[in-house]
Amino acid sequence: MLSSPEILRLGTGGCTQGRAHRTASQVGVAEKVAGVALIVLVLVAIVSPLLSPYSPIVPSGAPYLPPGSSGHPFGTDNIGLDLATRIAWGLRTSLFAAVIVTAVSALCGLGIGLLAGAVGGWLDNALMRITDLFLAFPAVIVAMAITAALGPGLVSSMIGISLVWWPLYARLVRGEAARTARSLHVEAARVAGTRGIRLLVRHVAPPVLPTVLVTASLDIGAVVMTLAALSFLGLGAPAPAPELGSMAAAGLPFILTAWWIPVLPGIAVGVIALVFNYAGDGMRSFLRAKGV
Amino acid sequence: MDVLSINDLSIRYTSRVPHVLAVDGVNLSVEPGQCVGVVGESGSGKSTIGAAVQGLLTREKGLESSGGITLAGRRLDPAREEGWGAVRGHLVTTIFQDPMSSLDPTMTIGRALGRVAGGKEEALRWLEDVEIRRAESVLRAYPHELSGGMRQRVMIALALSRRPALLIADEPTTALDVEVQAQILRLLKRERDGLGFGMLFITHDLGVARTMSDDIAVMSGGRLVERGTARTIFDTPREPYTRRLIGSRLTLETDPKRPLGPPQDVVIEAMNEAQRERGREISPVARAWADGDLQWSDFDAPSPEPGGSALVLTEVTKSFRTRGAREPKSVLRGVDLKVAARESVALVGESGSGKSTILRIAAGLEAADRGTIERNGDVQVVFQDAGASLTPWLTVSQLLTERLRSANPGSDATDHRAACALALERVALDPEVLHAKPAHLSGGQRQRVAIARAIVVPPRVLLCDEPTSALDVSVAATVLNIINLLRRELGLAVVFVTHDLAAARIIADRVDIVSDGRIIESVNADRLANDITSEYGRRLLDAVLA
Repeated sequence: MLSSPEILRLGTGGCTQGRAHRTASQVGVAEKVAGVALIVLVLVAIVSPLLSPYSPIVPSGAPYLPPGSSGHPFGTDNIGLDLATRIAWGLRTSLFAAVIVTAVSALCGLGIGLLAGAVGGWLDNALMRITDLFLAFPAVIVAMAITAALGPGLVSSMIGISLVWWPLYARLVRGEAARTARSLHVEAARVAGTRGIRLLVRHVAPPVLPTVLVTASLDIGAVVMTLAALSFLGLGAPAPAPELGSMAAAGLPFILTAWWIPVLPGIAVGVIALVFNYAGDGMRSFLRAKGV
Repeated sequence: MDVLSINDLSIRYTSRVPHVLAVDGVNLSVEPGQCVGVVGESGSGKSTIGAAVQGLLTREKGLESSGGITLAGRRLDPAREEGWGAVRGHLVTTIFQDPMSSLDPTMTIGRALGRVAGGKEEALRWLEDVEIRRAESVLRAYPHELSGGMRQRVMIALALSRRPALLIADEPTTALDVEVQAQILRLLKRERDGLGFGMLFITHDLGVARTMSDDIAVMSGGRLVERGTARTIFDTPREPYTRRLIGSRLTLETDPKRPLGPPQDVVIEAMNEAQRERGREISPVARAWADGDLQWSDFDAPSPEPGGSALVLTEVTKSFRTRGAREPKSVLRGVDLKVAARESVALVGESGSGKSTILRIAAGLEAADRGTIERNGDVQVVFQDAGASLTPWLTVSQLLTERLRSANPGSDATDHRAACALALERVALDPEVLHAKPAHLSGGQRQRVAIARAIVVPPRVLLCDEPTSALDVSVAATVLNIINLLRRELGLAVVFVTHDLAAARIIADRVDIVSDGRIIESVNADRLANDITSEYGRRLLDAVLA
């Protein structure tokens, strides 16, 4: 028996190497600044215990010191706690909690959306009706109710928010997964014997991931806001834990006499949300430019 | 005087990296009433010439051009807008491959044509002129309500009603069934004889070029390789490239017993050159092939396994519910198909005949409404659109390994590497391809990767759904050679779905003709031309012969 593929090679040729074109990245200045600010925020959150000589829950100076006082750049509050220290610690708590909440809801939503989109049929219907049920109620109010039922505290509010946050991801993922699942390469992979989770993970999920990643990075800001809102309403960790929302709430009576006590934590929440929004936009442009 | 003359035209795209010299010093002319066919494979520059002559490149960024285009006495620069306004759509009109993209979907045919032709009556006259029956009702129709062939006729009417001096036809029949294609070509010929316009006919299909053209210009890599009358190009081509191109073409006279390829002297020359340059030894097989004493039967696996049938479909029916339609549309109306072990069967029919649905049901991608399907062993599929059938973010090695893992769960990485290497060798791909993603491969390479995935674990049956119809002739010939070789070496049964009787003949032992959801005729591939008796089958045959 003869066997020689080289006759095929010799035969007719005409095969050229294809090329992939790539455009330069188009990330704007604001997004780049936000990226840097994001890194600074995260660093501050990580090393906050080392940044300040004070404890966030033990008074360290005279009360009502205004911002710019020596040793207390952001001033002190009504019982003499250092605001800069408390905001740095609050940043740490907020970011940590928001990242976990976003990651948990994104993963749940990814799993549910992939299943619904790729499998289709009754499973799709069942999962999407449940998703609709969650989406039908105002998210913050449901989160409040769940947190209140679990008993106020950081963990309860994280659970409460996660429970109302995943349906957004499920929706998002389901549409794209359904589209990808219908494409020829998935059919071809099925013919080649790939089944189940492997088919889902290798052949359907990858194009969905950048979208989820971008949405999640944009969402961290919103989750920080929601966490702050819950703790502002008294559903977060009890005082004197350094939490941005509860700090703002506790400082509210002093807004006319010592404005910095409620306003500075509020500004911190705003800055976090802003930075994450811009950084998320930047990530989106970057991924798009990479042709993902 | 020539209606079109292109003088030493070069066009370079500087916006792409690396810079692409799409057209390289081309000289070409068209006389009134003459049809010049421009043939070439993808990347040959034929479409760039077509676009340049229509003045479609003036807005292209980063374009450098030298040389000139003279259209009916006017000198024009393909990279500059000035002067084109009076030419585009008047002196030069165009018909494209996809008429849908150039017809306004919101306008009835009557309005669109009436605007150009000057009134309803003129429009009607033109529709009748392009042999549209019931022209009155077509006037009131929207483009989406017409069939592909009808749309192309309307496009021709639109293009001709402007009384152009030059008509550019850019692959106008590529998307059409063979029979409709033949009708459109006849129509274009008749119109040209009647109206006397010059025609630049751009196509990758050598058969079409031969039917249509007085002169043929062969292009490759942006250069004009050879120009001559259609007869000389086909019968006595001078340049090795042309001979190779003509040699890879499939006709009903092509010898199905031997590998497809260029004429022997071209091969021998190429081999000698390869030996000189790379010092590679020429194997006895290659030598035998070049000498012309190589036959497919030499490759048959030595010990035939026990026979029996590999795939049996009995009275399979299938209907699809289309959106808006109340009744489900019946696609298969009782198909009986029996494929013996190691047998190769071609299913030939036009689009909509149901041939692809048979394949999808045989592959298990679609469930039959009624009837039984018996698969004795593994079934693998090669799709028409190789690019879309390969998962874009996985490398070739990942794609092949996945197949290996699902077929032999116990195998390890060493087995996988060896099997991948063998599969790539079998489809004549270099091992470097293993780490490439589909986007970095050419169309031919992608189709070979798709075949490699299908045979990396040899199946019992290989189903091929028009695997070559999107490929250039020479690449298609390579792919057909690969399928023929593999089926012999690995002892596969093959079901080959195609609209092309010439390709079916090369691959198949038996040709089944599919029409309207049934297999209406089954003939021996060796005696195709004599044995086809059905009217439908004869029409397909005539279309190939024309």
